[in-house]
Amino acid sequence: MTPDGDPVLAARLAVPAVPGTFVRRDRLVEQLAEGAHGPLTLVNGPAGAGKTLLVADWITAYEPGAVAWLTVEPQDSAPGVFWSYVLHAFRHHGVALPDDIGSPARPGEVDHSLLARLAAWLNARDSRVTLVLDEFDRVAGAAAVADELHFVLRHAGDGLRLVIISRTEPLLPLYRYRAAGELVDIRADDLAFRAEETSALVDRHGLPLSAEAARVLTERTEGWAAGLRLCTLAAQRAADPESFLKDFEAGHSTVADFLLGEVLRAHPAQTQDLLLRTSILEETHPDLANALTGRDDAEPILEELQRANAFVEPIGHSWYRLHPLFAEILRVHLRVRHPGLEPELHRTAAEWLSRAGLLDEALPHAADAGDWELAAAELIDHLAIGRLLTGLAAERLDGLFARMAPEASGPAPDLVRAARELARHDVDRGVTYLRRAEENLPGGGTDDAAAARLSCAVLRVLAARVAGSADLAETAARDAAEAERALPADQVERHPELTARMLTDLGSAQLWAGRFDAAGATLSAAVDAAQGRSTAFARHEALGRLALIDFLHGRPGRAEAHARGAIAEAEQSGLPVSERTGMAQLVLAAVAIDRDDLTPAQGHLDQAAATSAASRDPVVAVELAILRSRMLVARGDPRAALLALDDMAKQPLVFAEPSPWVSDRIAMATAAAHLADGDPKAAVKVFEEQRSHSPESLAAEARARVAAGDRERALGILDELPEPQDRGPVIEVWVLLTRAQAVDALGDAAAAESLVLRALTAARPHHLRRPFLEAGPWLRRLMLHRPSLAREHAWLTSTLSPQPAASRQRDESVGPSPEPLSTRERDVLERLAQLMSTEEIAADLHLSVNTVKTHLKSIYRKLSATRRGEAVRRARELGLL
Amino acid sequence: MRYEIRVDGEMSDELTTAFPELDTFVAPCQTVLYGKVDDEAHLYGLLIRFQSLGLRVAEFRRLPE
Repeated sequence: MTPDGDPVLAARLAVPAVPGTFVRRDRLVEQLAEGAHGPLTLVNGPAGAGKTLLVADWITAYEPGAVAWLTVEPQDSAPGVFWSYVLHAFRHHGVALPDDIGSPARPGEVDHSLLARLAAWLNARDSRVTLVLDEFDRVAGAAAVADELHFVLRHAGDGLRLVIISRTEPLLPLYRYRAAGELVDIRADDLAFRAEETSALVDRHGLPLSAEAARVLTERTEGWAAGLRLCTLAAQRAADPESFLKDFEAGHSTVADFLLGEVLRAHPAQTQDLLLRTSILEETHPDLANALTGRDDAEPILEELQRANAFVEPIGHSWYRLHPLFAEILRVHLRVRHPGLEPELHRTAAEWLSRAGLLDEALPHAADAGDWELAAAELIDHLAIGRLLTGLAAERLDGLFARMAPEASGPAPDLVRAARELARHDVDRGVTYLRRAEENLPGGGTDDAAAARLSCAVLRVLAARVAGSADLAETAARDAAEAERALPADQVERHPELTARMLTDLGSAQLWAGRFDAAGATLSAAVDAAQGRSTAFARHEALGRLALIDFLHGRPGRAEAHARGAIAEAEQSGLPVSERTGMAQLVLAAVAIDRDDLTPAQGHLDQAAATSAASRDPVVAVELAILRSRMLVARGDPRAALLALDDMAKQPLVFAEPSPWVSDRIAMATAAAHLADGDPKAAVKVFEEQRSHSPESLAAEARARVAAGDRERALGILDELPEPQDRGPVIEVWVLLTRAQAVDALGDAAAAESLVLRALTAARPHHLRRPFLEAGPWLRRLMLHRPSLAREHAWLTSTLSPQPAASRQRDESVGPSPEPLSTRERDVLERLAQLMSTEEIAADLHLSVNTVKTHLKSIYRKLSATRRGEAVRRARELGLL
Repeated sequence: MRYEIRVDGEMSDELTTAFPELDTFVAPCQTVLYGKVDDEAHLYGLLIRFQSLGLRVAEFRRLPE
């Protein structure tokens, strides 16, 4: 991201300066003023028609309230980039947008909610903001940008006025605005100078010109503003302006061609040379111009050109902008007068811009020079390889280097090739390039050598992560740290995306290998890496993975907090759902399943499945399959759950090294489905084939063995588990319940009861219902003996009765079962059975009375009851209470 | 696809180099450019190039094959 104060960015946000010779035309000012009543004003006309100066003068002279100006560039056709610059323009022009609107972190797409927040905020303002988009034709092909502009404009009410300056019509649904009288359209015919306006313009330049000559001139140029300007400049230098204009009239050449030739010829040779050579740039600086001409007179020449009001305008910080139309014609002249010089000029410009720290501007010139070694070397030396992988510039840089010639050789081009392959998760090709780059790494202790080593190491970490190898990732991370130490600290700090990306990749590899403590520390460090848009995706991914680690440790509260943090980060940074990792939604689904909140769990699963990571990221893909099987078990269909797990096993994802905890989790899910299916022998067999590692899977193995009748073995496994303080409440509840089941089966009902009591106490703060639901019939028997448990743990007992394991048997018995009650409805029904009033139920459940009434209505409907007593009786008959 | 494009005014030799893919000849008060146009993208690209150079396109037509 270009920092504030960068002259190139400042040029895009600055309202262009209006020259003293500008002729204000009241008829056009009136049209612009009329536009203030509607949301949309279009200024459409060909190059050099005077569109930009018209709007700039109106803003400067009439101060129509808050105005944000943005000169659009072709790279803005990526919506993320476009909106990022629009938000930047608002802030730059003093429109204090609140932080919670966020800012896009990815180039390709913007989360719609970000645009909705922006529109809502504009709508709520007292006064209107005018947004001017100059040179909008540069993104004319981007339908997404046009759609989004239309959306924001529609929903911002009176808070936004849009002024679009463009050579072509924008893709907005203009007919609708026209039909509603909401569009003011200033077109080529309006912009064309009339004869009396031409007279005023030549007067401004101090030229004596008869009214007749002005009329002829207007006719010849058809009122074309740039033509008139060029003509006046040429006539000023002619001995006799009136006769010069007569010659011009008689000539039949195209207006721009003739006039530019005349104007150029009128300048001294040095000026002509400077103009031609700098025509390859959009913005120029005296030093840069000197580099291109090989002389040192650029400063006085540029100042003179600006004073004479020709070709260039100052944009501050000693930078000048060439008029795009003139630059285009100058480039044609350059090719004719100095064939073959262009690549050399581009190379010189690239080197100068890169030395000035303007990498984004330097790279396209290196590419235009066809010097790919230079382009790649600049990217590596500036430590910008991470920007090829993440952030707003990723797509543009990727597109730039997609053109790289296959002949380009050396470590830098190979590193760029490796990064592009790895970003597509093609490990084999990526590693091949990476190895070739490493073989040719420059030696010595220079910064450039260290930057190349660091880039190599960061890509190694990424390759190791995709291949699932924590050892390789850790080795590469150590190399990266070493290379970092050889570099100036401030240079590394300027590229937080490199560090954040590397830490996230390392943490992911460690997570895959089951090194949870190391992964947790690494991922926390990634989250703490500098805040900002360039690191937003890394933070989102790291927070999602931290949530998973919490969940695997059995700590639902912390898991949820991290997951919500990950989602908030994604929304803030405008990451569309498809671009998110889905991990946070998976963790939320997993916690909801533990609580038996199946409807929200399904919603989270669907959202996770909609992300691209679901097919690309092995952890997300496996966890998604496991949670889907758990949902099927919870819904009473363990057979389908087993089929789903079989399917997953048949299509192994591409990863080099297996992950111990991932196979643990697959085994646990399989065993749980077998148990729910009433086949404990099959469940035990799962663990005989797949040795358990984690406390959670050991507890699951013990549970399978208890169910299969091998209580001593189960207790033996449980005894060997590590100390309880090291495990989270979820694991603790499973362990206590399994132990309770074992001692109950051995006939020690009192010990079992006290263990269940402890399990209930541990589960209550998190409302963990699933372990009790899957515990089996022995638990219900035990709880029947202790009715006080039901009273103390109402959060649980209402859900205990409809056993998923029993549901299959019920299906085979009498009649269709009623539509299942939601968890909340069961909560309400249970209190109804305790003869609580509607108000008491509301207070107990922290709900409004109306919400309770709504639940009551749907309970009555589902149970085909009309009164309370009837509903409770029906529920008892159906075994719901 | 072959196209013929008529531009108002006589284009100098310098300016015609901006369209190396097209042939040109000068007619009274107009320059005629003609030649093969690869596809629609090329076609629109040409139109933009004319506009960028301040040239006024008077006529644009597809020639029979």
